[in-house]
Amino acid sequence: MAAERSITELERFLAERADHLLRTAVLLTGTREAGEDLLQTAVERLLRRWRRFDGDPEGYLRRTLCNLAIDGYRRAGRWRQRERLLRTGLPQPTDPAGDVDLRDALVRLLLQLPARQRAVLVLRYWEQLTDAETAAVLGCSEGTVKSAGSRGMTRLRELAESWDEMAAMSGRNGKRS
Amino acid sequence: MNTDVEILLREGMERFTADLRAPAGLTRWVVRRRRRRLALRATGGLATALTAGAVALVAVVVPRAGHGGTGSAVLTADVVKRVDSALTTADPGDIAQMTVTTQRPALPGGTATTITSEEWSYGDQWRSLTNSSSGHPVDDEGFGPSVGYTLVSYLKREWARMPGLGYPAAPATPVPSAHGCEPVIAALPTLLHPGLPMQPGIAGLGFAAGLFSASSPPATAARALHNAISCGTLTEAGRQNVDGIEAIKLTSRAGSPISETIWVDPGTYLPVRVVIRSAGGFPVTQQTADITWLPPTAQNLAKLTVAIPAGFRRVPVVQAVLPLLQQAFARSLPAVGAG
Repeated sequence: MAAERSITELERFLAERADHLLRTAVLLTGTREAGEDLLQTAVERLLRRWRRFDGDPEGYLRRTLCNLAIDGYRRAGRWRQRERLLRTGLPQPTDPAGDVDLRDALVRLLLQLPARQRAVLVLRYWEQLTDAETAAVLGCSEGTVKSAGSRGMTRLRELAESWDEMAAMSGRNGKRS
Repeated sequence: MNTDVEILLREGMERFTADLRAPAGLTRWVVRRRRRRLALRATGGLATALTAGAVALVAVVVPRAGHGGTGSAVLTADVVKRVDSALTTADPGDIAQMTVTTQRPALPGGTATTITSEEWSYGDQWRSLTNSSSGHPVDDEGFGPSVGYTLVSYLKREWARMPGLGYPAAPATPVPSAHGCEPVIAALPTLLHPGLPMQPGIAGLGFAAGLFSASSPPATAARALHNAISCGTLTEAGRQNVDGIEAIKLTSRAGSPISETIWVDPGTYLPVRVVIRSAGGFPVTQQTADITWLPPTAQNLAKLTVAIPAGFRRVPVVQAVLPLLQQAFARSLPAVGAG
């Protein structure tokens, strides 16, 4: 009976937060399917501990999502394969100022970043965590978070700058919205 | 600039994931997945899982054949598992509403035809409404536990009814149920009527399997799709857009005498389209079923009822059904004697 009540609590929590966690998982992996897989695996891990779990379930799931995404990326290159699939499904930037929004291009580039850099950016700019909180989630130092985030943002800024240049060359204003 | 890029990145993330919704019943799904995983571990682990998945992919109508690498098998097994789970939930939870289009090539001296019908399947109930090319009803038939089988012919302005579930009995051709599986289109009784050519020795196209007797009702669409997918001939073949959905495509392996393709909604993992094409020496006939899954509201359940228009004449069921059977078997059986 107690176990059933616990499961109900977990269901209630997920009813409220699963959508957001799925969005995080998809940003970490690049596709809906991979994101769902990731979230289900993370929930399964939480489920194993749920009866005795004493903590913030969202924090636990967020941490597990990041760790699984980074480990999975390292282990099998599986996410990279899925990223390729994703890229084929996204609009191609033939006309950067017109057809493809810079926002899409930034997300596309985000999904090509190394897993740790991506996780840092997702936690910082999607989950809105501080460097310290991000470091706690990833189990690393704040310095590591800052350097990984900085490298990732540098790539994204380079993209944004080249976007503006290409837009200017095509005779349009570098529209960013 | 920095702030700009950060804001745009955040907005891009928001937009990229805007339509995502976690599957309903995530916890229960995970509980079931964990149980399955533990059971698999207890019975031999991953090898068993992959074998089960791979065997499941070899079909109903198709001899076992080689397939792609392990990655493909794993991906297919994963999709099949999800579809399997979704269909289990949908049976009898949701009503399968199907638009079935049959395209038949011209026979000598004849013309090519396209027949469209609307079908509904839910639990023990099924209904098929065939329309003419101008959109007028031609035949309306179905069965349910309360009234049995009913057929209304709009062309002849007559109707017939017999008790029991299922299609009126006909001389049943044994179904060589390949690998112990049912053909996917056993789910789609209407697919019998236009008469896809039957290839001897092949239980495909649901043709023989569809010779339901009143005591042997056909599977519901969900159950039959479930059977076909979980024991199937199918392998994952990427994505394709189906009515705006980037659907997962499951298709028969190369060399299959009958081509079956099922597209699955990646959100719900329910089939949204089934296409069956004959091959191997016959003029290609293609049947397409576009499937929508409806909640069983009173309004939707009403779609399963065959209405008898006022002024139509009741006739014996044999008289009403025989033309349909003759049409279906004209090219495949020497004689027909509807029971």
